[in-house]
Amino acid sequence: MLLSAAAAGALAAKAPAKDDVGEVWQLVADHLGRDAYIKLDGLEGPATRERKFAEAVVAVDYQPVTQARLESAAAVFAELATGDDEIAAASAYLEARLYQIHLQALDYEKAAVLYRALAERHPRSHWAQLGLVKLGLLTLYVLPEPATPAARISAAQALLPRLAEKELVRDLELQLGRAGAFYEQPLETILPHLVAADRIGGLIGQAREDLIVMIGELSLRSGHYAQARTYFERYEREYTYNMRLVTVRRRLEDLAALEAKAREAKP
Amino acid sequence: MNGQIRSRLGLAIAVGTYLFAAWWVFTRSTPIVAQRPVTLRVAHWQIERGPPEGLAAVIRRYEELNPRVKVEQVLVPGGGPIYRQWLRSNLIGGTGPDLVEYGYWLDGMTDIPARYFAPITDEMMLPNPYNRGTPLESVAWLDTFTDGLIIQQATAPVPGQFYAATLTEVSTRLFCNQDLLKQITGSTKTPRTLIELRAISARVRAYAARTGRPVYTLAGSRDNANWLLQFLMQGTMMPRSQRNDRYGTLALNSWDELGHYLEGRWTYDSPEARAGLELMREISLNMKPGFLQSMRDAATQEFLRGDSLFIFAGTWDGTSLRELATFPVEVIRFPQPTPDDPVVGKFYIGPYADGGGGTCMELYLNKQTTHRAEAVDFLRFMSSMEGSQLFTDHSGWLPAVRGVKVPDRIKAYETPKDCFTFGMPYTVIGSTVMSNLDLNMHLLSGPTGSVDKFVAAMEAGMPKAVRADLQKEISNRYLAVRPQDVQIMALNELSRRLPGNADLPVSRERLESSQTQTEALVLQMQLQLQTAVK
Repeated sequence: MLLSAAAAGALAAKAPAKDDVGEVWQLVADHLGRDAYIKLDGLEGPATRERKFAEAVVAVDYQPVTQARLESAAAVFAELATGDDEIAAASAYLEARLYQIHLQALDYEKAAVLYRALAERHPRSHWAQLGLVKLGLLTLYVLPEPATPAARISAAQALLPRLAEKELVRDLELQLGRAGAFYEQPLETILPHLVAADRIGGLIGQAREDLIVMIGELSLRSGHYAQARTYFERYEREYTYNMRLVTVRRRLEDLAALEAKAREAKP
Repeated sequence: MNGQIRSRLGLAIAVGTYLFAAWWVFTRSTPIVAQRPVTLRVAHWQIERGPPEGLAAVIRRYEELNPRVKVEQVLVPGGGPIYRQWLRSNLIGGTGPDLVEYGYWLDGMTDIPARYFAPITDEMMLPNPYNRGTPLESVAWLDTFTDGLIIQQATAPVPGQFYAATLTEVSTRLFCNQDLLKQITGSTKTPRTLIELRAISARVRAYAARTGRPVYTLAGSRDNANWLLQFLMQGTMMPRSQRNDRYGTLALNSWDELGHYLEGRWTYDSPEARAGLELMREISLNMKPGFLQSMRDAATQEFLRGDSLFIFAGTWDGTSLRELATFPVEVIRFPQPTPDDPVVGKFYIGPYADGGGGTCMELYLNKQTTHRAEAVDFLRFMSSMEGSQLFTDHSGWLPAVRGVKVPDRIKAYETPKDCFTFGMPYTVIGSTVMSNLDLNMHLLSGPTGSVDKFVAAMEAGMPKAVRADLQKEISNRYLAVRPQDVQIMALNELSRRLPGNADLPVSRERLESSQTQTEALVLQMQLQLQTAVK
């Protein structure tokens, strides 16, 4: 997490002696949004920036979610975003998120503008970095320009050098590879992204399992037999319980035949 | 004087009675206030023979180990309308149980996980403390399940997040009435291939005609027929799935198949689908006429009465079938097609998966529970080696946990890694598609049915049904990812307050990553809807 020391210090200084807002965050983390709302409602004293931020955050998922409440939250985020601390960066990010996934009438272009502005203003902030990954998704699938799949992938790929957090680099690499497969782009352009995501590591569950098979299979299809073997054998070692193992073993048999054929073809 | 004595005596009797009653209430009878401060409620629909007993054994032991906690089983009939209505109304009303059984295939309920269930991803990545002193002591909880929770992962509202622990592994099997088999064929040899099944079916028909006894090869009902159709379609569609596997994951999810349909990559009129349907029709002609009007209970009764030689059912019916039958029941795998099969041989890749080794009876954590820690703790015990062994021994159902000893009597339910699956069958891919299927199944079966009639009727409704289901996939994912923004912010703020807590940033990072993956999926689905050719 790229939390600037100054911003963290500023927030800590403003934190009340009894950390009521901290309790609110714990309730939110425990999925008890209604309790968090009640807790915030009962707080006394002047509203700090963090408290205002917490109120707007809780409102985003306060059931039933209404457009009026989301629009009020957007206004609070826009106001908080003018500051120069972590709350400002987080608020700018959430304002963009409202336009990307929360409001009834989504506005992808506005979300993209806000992500770009956030990245300009707080380039090292975690929220700006995460915003770039989200901007990558919008570029890959929904923004009007660039229009062709190859150009979309290329534009999203251009965001990579601006990412400093390795987990976020991994997530964007994975999405570049998956978008390439979705648009049925040449396998040679897809595989480097997938391999890069795998090398960074840290994916869990099905995402990790799928990635290993995917690299194995796409490598086989593109004639990178050694790489295919590496990944299929890794799958065989690590996922002994999944019935997909039977198909992977069949692919290893197919691979052996292809390797033999390739050896025979060599002069 | 007498009156005074009488009144004193009366008063003494009244006081004595009161004191006795008070003593009794506080020492002998059930306490007025529950002795255990925490009560967990676990709701499920597995009211067949076996699971309630299995879970009761788990609960007894858990309560011994945890005197603070009382666990109550809430048995609600059926995975059908009663359970669905009961569950939704309780969750909406904030009176839902702490742990809830849920299945992705429950009609009209696909929004439930995103709205009401909380992920338990972080806990899944750590060892299960109840496995201390066992070979699974240092294994992440996730990896202690025999299938790595693959079904649950494939159907989770957010890929990369875990929402449930499972209790059992299921498979589909052919249960055989051995007495009747011997009576009809003169032997107890069961069929291994489709060709052998066809031969036995011919003998059953001849026997029924000769004796006038209405005996059928297979017990029939809508449920059993649907399970059979899933098995056959999953098998025959494998070559098509391979061709459509643009990601190279060697497995397709339900939303992949919905999207592929809109892209024109398959229909029920595809040659592979028609072959599966043809086989389904052929087999269904060996079921009692009108079977589609019956539910699984009717098929079970038909089999138990000795009116059918086999029943194709899930192992979830195994304990009931074997305990209630008055004849010996043999459990075998459904006869597999062969490469030279006249109907489906052309599309044969290998043996069809009859269970896939997936685990289910998934118990999800209610987001609104006020006993999160205790509920997760119970899930951990339930799916520990000890808990799973208790469940298996008392239910007659397979365990969901590695290393648990499988009793000999249910070994036949296990599926070795010897069959192929390419993910979801082309039937259970969405509730609207399933309704369309239910609506038209009668056109496939029965003397006047045909594959042509079925395909024509299905295809007339499929584009609309697929669009509806894909749209639901999108809506449900939005329901799941929107609250995650709030969660992510909360985890970040907590992490800032507790810099020594290494788990918080990891939880936040995992949530961000899985959220990004889900959003990408949603955008792809939206594109498929916009550019659909169907």
